[in-house]
Amino acid sequence: MDKKDIRSLLRNNAVTVMFVVLCTLCMIFSGQSVSYVIYELFGRLSRNSFIVLALIIPIVAGMGINFAITIGAMAAQISVLWVIEWGVGGIGGFLLAMGMTLPIAALFGFLIGKLLNKMKGQEMIGGLILGYFASGLYQLLFLFIFGNLIPLNTPGLVVKGSTGVANTIDLNSGAGGGIKYALDGIWRTDFGTTLYVLCGIVAMALIVGLLLKKVEKKKAIIGVGTAAVLCGLYQIPAVADLFSMVKVPMITFIVVGILCLFNVGVMKTRLGQQFRAVGQNRTVANASGIHVDKVRLIAIVISTVLAGWGQLIFVQNMGSFQTYGAHEQVGLYAGAAILVGGASIRKATNGQAILGCILFHLLFIVAPPAAKNLFGDAAIGEYFRVFISYGVIAMALVMHAWRGVQARKEKKEQQEAAAK
Amino acid sequence: MTKSVLRRVIAIVLCVAAVVLIVLGAVNMPKRESEDGLQILKTLRTRTLLNATGEGVVESYVAVAKKEAQAAAKAAGGGMSAIREAIAKAEEETRAKYSSNATDYSAIDTTNLEAAMDEYMVALKASADCEAAAKQAYIDAHYDEAYEAAKADREAKIAAGQDVPEEMKVTVDMSGFVATEEMTSLEAKAKEAYGLVGEALKGIYPVMDDNALNTLEGTIADIVYQAGDNYTLQYDRYIKAGSGDALENKTGGFLVRYADDLFYVAGALIVAALTLLFYEVLVAKLGIPRVIIGLFFILLCFMSLLYDLSLSTLLSNSVVRMGMNSIMVLAMVPGIQCGISLNLGLPIGLVAGLIGGLLTIELEIGGWLGFVFAILVGCLIAAVCGWLYAQLLNRLKGEEMSVTTYVGFSIVSLMCIAWLVLPFNSLKLRWPLGTGLRNTIGLDNSNFRHILDDLWSFKIGDFVVPTGLLLFMLLCCFVVWLFSRSKTGVAMQAVGNNPRFAEATGINVNKMRIIGTVLSTVLGAVGILVYSQSYGFMQLYTAPRQMGFIAASAILIGGASTSRCKISHVLIGTFLFQGVLTLGMPVANVLVPGSTISETLRILISNGIILYALTKSGGGSRG
Repeated sequence: MDKKDIRSLLRNNAVTVMFVVLCTLCMIFSGQSVSYVIYELFGRLSRNSFIVLALIIPIVAGMGINFAITIGAMAAQISVLWVIEWGVGGIGGFLLAMGMTLPIAALFGFLIGKLLNKMKGQEMIGGLILGYFASGLYQLLFLFIFGNLIPLNTPGLVVKGSTGVANTIDLNSGAGGGIKYALDGIWRTDFGTTLYVLCGIVAMALIVGLLLKKVEKKKAIIGVGTAAVLCGLYQIPAVADLFSMVKVPMITFIVVGILCLFNVGVMKTRLGQQFRAVGQNRTVANASGIHVDKVRLIAIVISTVLAGWGQLIFVQNMGSFQTYGAHEQVGLYAGAAILVGGASIRKATNGQAILGCILFHLLFIVAPPAAKNLFGDAAIGEYFRVFISYGVIAMALVMHAWRGVQARKEKKEQQEAAAK
Repeated sequence: MTKSVLRRVIAIVLCVAAVVLIVLGAVNMPKRESEDGLQILKTLRTRTLLNATGEGVVESYVAVAKKEAQAAAKAAGGGMSAIREAIAKAEEETRAKYSSNATDYSAIDTTNLEAAMDEYMVALKASADCEAAAKQAYIDAHYDEAYEAAKADREAKIAAGQDVPEEMKVTVDMSGFVATEEMTSLEAKAKEAYGLVGEALKGIYPVMDDNALNTLEGTIADIVYQAGDNYTLQYDRYIKAGSGDALENKTGGFLVRYADDLFYVAGALIVAALTLLFYEVLVAKLGIPRVIIGLFFILLCFMSLLYDLSLSTLLSNSVVRMGMNSIMVLAMVPGIQCGISLNLGLPIGLVAGLIGGLLTIELEIGGWLGFVFAILVGCLIAAVCGWLYAQLLNRLKGEEMSVTTYVGFSIVSLMCIAWLVLPFNSLKLRWPLGTGLRNTIGLDNSNFRHILDDLWSFKIGDFVVPTGLLLFMLLCCFVVWLFSRSKTGVAMQAVGNNPRFAEATGINVNKMRIIGTVLSTVLGAVGILVYSQSYGFMQLYTAPRQMGFIAASAILIGGASTSRCKISHVLIGTFLFQGVLTLGMPVANVLVPGSTISETLRILISNGIILYALTKSGGGSRG
């Protein structure tokens, strides 16, 4: 790699690089032990990465960051309320909530898609405001319909003397024992086992691929080598110590893995190609016979349903949620996370989503204690991370718009040059 | 006029119904003053009184029967247990006798009682009025004293570093209040009148004794007279006490009670009929959202009348809120005119204005000088920030909306950090313990609280006209209008309407956009100061985040689009939006007590209208 490459790499991933630097600095000043940070990080990753991955398809389909995923989260919260009311606990309750979220979120996604098709080019601001608007409808639903017109009987869901559903919904309540840790708690294991299993699977897959001649020899060797080195590193006690606090919720990560595979897989289908075609140029896609509005609609429906499931994973890990506020920041944090990972509002991959999730939440963990140590006030760290979230999105939008204008200018100049 | 037959038929039916209601109302309304109407009220009052005293009487009967039973048992020479048994038995029997079968009220002659009650009512009213007047006089005389004391106390607390509430509360100590001679004499007269009522009651219930009458006095006084009584209040009070069955002819009283409401419903029906008749014209001229919101506003007006809320007070509040929000809405105008669409980055200007306001308090510049200083400093900062902001926007033509939103959000959260670390020292601004500025900073009379609102303000009934505020609003509107007529203003609008054409005619597009953006930001700074002086508080931290949306939705409600607007859109939109919110809250509280439905309403209206505008401005269906 020569110098020019490195420079353009840095320029293209300025946000990511800046975040790495920022996280490192905060990490140093926070005074937190590395093993604690890693423990926190794994918890946050397990509950947040699914919803970030839900953003990929609309980005590929050219609709930018789908801030309307808040509405998917609302669908999930409606489902959770009823699953608790019916007293279905454990993994059964979780699956029921997933099943319920599917049609509700699909319907919401359909409506969102219809509306966004009427404001092409303004999807992001449209999605954001649609999220606010839906938040109002959600309040009507939870304040005046649930618990009043449709009575709720589970204690704790309604508070006597106030209207509507209680401010906090506890996932431990309900006759069936609730759905807290319904997914996380099925199979938890320490980090070492996870690593060995993961490395084993990767190595096996590569070797099988090599035998079937689907994977290049060089790639396979690098892959297997990396796996072996990782397992070897873990044998060093100092390294193993860092991960000693981590308990990996295997099923949750497997679900996240499946979603990654889905995101990759769907792009190889006809539908995926249509997503990409529409994302690159709507006019061309329309001319080549793709039903643009329909493709965009499908992208939003998928994203909304996935966001709903993501919110389910989030709340089952948290164990309770703020009835009227839990969905509000979902779009902001997920959007900022994926941009931090190096995605733009036109291009995003699984890797960027996961990397962004790691960096963004790392900053969330270390910023408040770092601010407390530096300025004597943790509140500064809180505001700082909100500022970073908005700032990252603003910056991505500015950079995107900038590139668009620049490209247009170049095109114009080329045309003028050609005309001469 | 609509062509649909169905709509015409419905409209005619509605009109007929409205006419019927108006006739009914017109017939029944005067009855309130007439003998008939008053008789209804009197009947109800008598029944309520008899009901209430009847319960007291049963107790008297029971007491008498108990005494008799005890005496009889003693005379019979029974032991303690026998006496107790006899008493219990007597009590049970008496209760059963008098409570179970309701007294036959029609058999009672109440002429005496009614006359006595009339007299009692007059006496009570005179006494209560006199007492209220005397107390008010006392408060007026001692207010300054109490104000000084409260102020001194507050300042002492601030100096000592204690936490004080945002708003200063002045309570006049009533312990020194002595009843005037007139009051005492009127009270005595009321007592006398009560004696007459008591006599009449004794005539009806033979066992009623002075003891029972004494305990019943408060209850009876409440039944006969309460402060601010009118026909509807008395009627409702008696019906609530369960005396409705006293009226044999129920609808008569009902119609008289609700005569005014009949007019209101008729009015609403006529509005509905007119809307149906002119539906197409209205929708074509105003667009569906404005028709809905306009109708909703009218509906809220009628509902507040129907629920006996003071409409003039509510409308007066709406006007104040229109004034306080209007400048921020006006800030949208140059933005839209110069082609940056809705300036959702308005928080930049708001924050600049807030800094100006904070500086006046920090430097302790009071009154008008302080307000002008705040505006000048705010405008200066806003102009600089607006210029930088315009530089950014000029590089991103066509993508302004989403960028401005997030830039605005970022600035607000950046300022959250700034509020924590800025080196202000005044204890009015800082938390006494802990770091940073307060969340809301209460303005008081030594700053610019209500400085525009109270200027030349006057009252018409309940309607307070904030003359200064409205004049300032009109002045700002006039200045913006004048600017849009100037050479620069016309050029700026040309840029907004068609940038390419403007460029071709030799207008400097970027410069015009800068002028528009700076103007918009500066107006935002003025707007938040006007808002704060009227509201009485300056809100820091996350409060300005949503204000850009509120201002944008107000101008859209007024009839603007994302690319076209007029000053009239500002005035109409702000009044409608703020009117709906102001009227919505009390009406919603009658419907669902203690709810936050008004906040929900704001979220729905403000975001709904922006969504609508976006769908109108968004790209075509293909490509």
